[in-house]
Amino acid sequence: MSSGVVVVGFVPGPRGEAALQHAVEECRRRGARLVVVNSSRGDALVDERFVQGEPLRRLQDELTVSGVPAELRQPVRGRDVAEELADVVRETGAELLVIGLRRRTAVGKLLMGSAAQRILLDVECPILAVKSAPGD
Amino acid sequence: MSTAQGLPPDAAPEPTPPGEQPGRNTGELVMAGLLAALGLYLVLDAGSIAVPGSSNQVGPRFFPYLVGGVVLATGIALGVRVWRGDQGPADESEDVDPTAGTSWQAVAIISVAFLAHALLINVVGWPLAVTLMFATVAWALGARGIVRPLIAGGIAAVVVWIVFVKALNVALPGGTLLEWATDWF
Amino acid sequence: MDALGDLVGGLGDALTPQNLLFALLGVLLGTAVGVLPGIGPAMTVALLLPVTYVLEPTSAFIMFAGIYYGGMYGGSTTSILLNTPGESSSIMTALEGNKMAKAGRGAAALATAALGSFVAGTIATLLLALVAPTVVDLAIGITAADYFAIAVLAFVAVATVLGASPLRGLASLGIGLYLGLVGTDVLTGQERFTLGVPQLSDGIDVVVVAVALFAVGEALYVASRLRRGPVQVMGASGSWFTREDLRRSWKPWLRGTAFGFPFGALPAGGAEIPTFLSYATERKLSKHPEQFGKGAIEGVAGPEAANNAAAAGVLVPLLTLGIPTSATAAIILAAFQGYGIQTGPTLLTTESPLVWTLIASLLIGNFMLLVLNLPLVGLWVKLLRIPRPYLYAGILMFASLGSYAVNADPLDLVLLLVIGLLGFFMRRYGWPVAPAVIGLILGPIAETNLRRALAISGGDLGVLVESWVSRIVLGLVLLALVGPIVLRLVRGPRSTPEELQQEGTLQHRVPAGRGRGDDEEEEEDR
Repeated sequence: MSSGVVVVGFVPGPRGEAALQHAVEECRRRGARLVVVNSSRGDALVDERFVQGEPLRRLQDELTVSGVPAELRQPVRGRDVAEELADVVRETGAELLVIGLRRRTAVGKLLMGSAAQRILLDVECPILAVKSAPGD
Repeated sequence: MSTAQGLPPDAAPEPTPPGEQPGRNTGELVMAGLLAALGLYLVLDAGSIAVPGSSNQVGPRFFPYLVGGVVLATGIALGVRVWRGDQGPADESEDVDPTAGTSWQAVAIISVAFLAHALLINVVGWPLAVTLMFATVAWALGARGIVRPLIAGGIAAVVVWIVFVKALNVALPGGTLLEWATDWF
Repeated sequence: MDALGDLVGGLGDALTPQNLLFALLGVLLGTAVGVLPGIGPAMTVALLLPVTYVLEPTSAFIMFAGIYYGGMYGGSTTSILLNTPGESSSIMTALEGNKMAKAGRGAAALATAALGSFVAGTIATLLLALVAPTVVDLAIGITAADYFAIAVLAFVAVATVLGASPLRGLASLGIGLYLGLVGTDVLTGQERFTLGVPQLSDGIDVVVVAVALFAVGEALYVASRLRRGPVQVMGASGSWFTREDLRRSWKPWLRGTAFGFPFGALPAGGAEIPTFLSYATERKLSKHPEQFGKGAIEGVAGPEAANNAAAAGVLVPLLTLGIPTSATAAIILAAFQGYGIQTGPTLLTTESPLVWTLIASLLIGNFMLLVLNLPLVGLWVKLLRIPRPYLYAGILMFASLGSYAVNADPLDLVLLLVIGLLGFFMRRYGWPVAPAVIGLILGPIAETNLRRALAISGGDLGVLVESWVSRIVLGLVLLALVGPIVLRLVRGPRSTPEELQQEGTLQHRVPAGRGRGDDEEEEEDR
């Protein structure tokens, strides 16, 4: 078994699930270990992208069932997703990062900026960007 | 699961045993002492309130004596209670981490920022003074960067100023530039 | 009936498009701030007091009425979905409602809270309309000495009965009374405690003190103990309100109302005790006692109704006697004073249209809340995504706006900071803030009546216990002062909400050492 690591940025919802699925497949193909990162800046009372409680248990079950050696990290250090992911990639020497992309129009992109763009710029390993199935 | 697991409220708070924040008793003892001092001041200073000669009725001193007495007694009683180790339940607020120690630094920064803005208002106008205060407070509370808090504060301050001054006629100095720019309103 | 006729008249006044707009604005504003962490209705009304300079009284009070009820709806929403009770009166809702939401019954919990609030709010507001004229009839004959006694009862009740620690409540009250003394004595024109500062000779403005204690103090307190990381938000999911839910909810709603209204209406009121009593009662009467503690719908319906009924009850002494028994009521009283309106037993006759419009707009606001809130839950939860640094910086911005607008004097802002720091330390050491605000506003009224009574008697203190009313009321004062202390000595501290949830009876027992409230967080999850 190689010591490779695949990192996946997880958010609840279809795009997160899609990213996780692809990451698990990649791990199987490469015989790599999976590191799931679900971070929050932690500066608001509510952050729906931070997995807690029942969804957290479901995520852990999902990871166990997948059979891939997996680790879940949930850093809350007041930093953006891009920074947290770049950190984890650097620290684990990951060979691949998987992220889920939001479906957005060009105008929406212009208005909202993009976490994905920052990730592409900041992270130093190959990145696989996944979209959720169109029906979702 | 790894090191940086977040802080879901479901997790048992281990770090500080509750009720053991250092200095808590001393702090409240000082509060009780100040309260007693306030009571003493009220009782003593009430004696120097001038009473208009004519009155055969109860003058302006009576109620201050009463309040001063109650405050003094409360201060002393509370001091004794605290001295014996009694602790009040810290205020339960929606967005407070009850296990966290007190960050005096944040309180100090915010106080200084607020004081500075109070003194700056008549010099540079309300919007600019508030922008600086807003950005400093946001920074002290952990907002990222300097530019974003400044922009957010600036926009909020100008919008609020326009709404309250131009639409609701509240008197707030706008500063030279903004007053000149909105003169035509 | 007379009162009903007046109420219909008030409804007519409140139903103009402009007034409906103000009611809507108040309701939305109130719910929004009720949802936002760290901001309650008292703080909102305090921050909005400066609008009394530009709005006419009717519009302002219609808006305040909306904020008053809206704040509670917002509070119960976050209690259920986030388990963050902002006030002690929503602790029971949070305990039981959040369990329901966790069990996938969030929608039903929100619905029973909203419907219960509506039922209780409507019944209690109608009761207010019916009771108010009667109370005024009784009150019109009371003497200055009686009035002083009632004010003292309100002081003592607010300070000792409501808080966890009577001495700390008294301390807070004393601070408020002192702040109320600063300035020029109205009867003799003498300056008191002004330290020679000319700006203080007009007294310390109520707006400044209220905003300082609530907004600035709270912002500083939150800053000092910043929660890092998000809390878990439960979805408003699950089956909507079913027939079964209704069958289990309607009796608790009515019983909750029956507990809440009288407790709110008595000067010794407050909303905390009736919610506890309601919870204990529902648990005793329920056919499903095993569900309590795991998300029983009765445990949300009853306390939530009690909470809202108490809020309406608080308006009875406020509107009929001019006696505020909660922080929000005190600030509404300050708004009356800001307009130069004489409060007290004469309010209902001299300002009849205004008062009836206010009561009518409570009914309207209550209905708007029912219609608007359930569909808007998603929007309210989104509000909670505002990052804390910006939220609290924004609160301070509005604090600055409101206090500076009073006199356009930067000294007011310095005073705001000083009293805000005082509010911070009070919170830090568990001194309740509400008694200070009530002391500040009710103190001068009490003094005036005391001196009037003593002037009539020629300085003979015996006048204070001359009438039966003042004897009874002062007897109650004694009871309120000594009662809690005796109870504590004999039976230990009051049971915590969690113990209540576990055991189902409100009793006094003796846990080891620590005060109530200290151990709430960790009890929760054992």
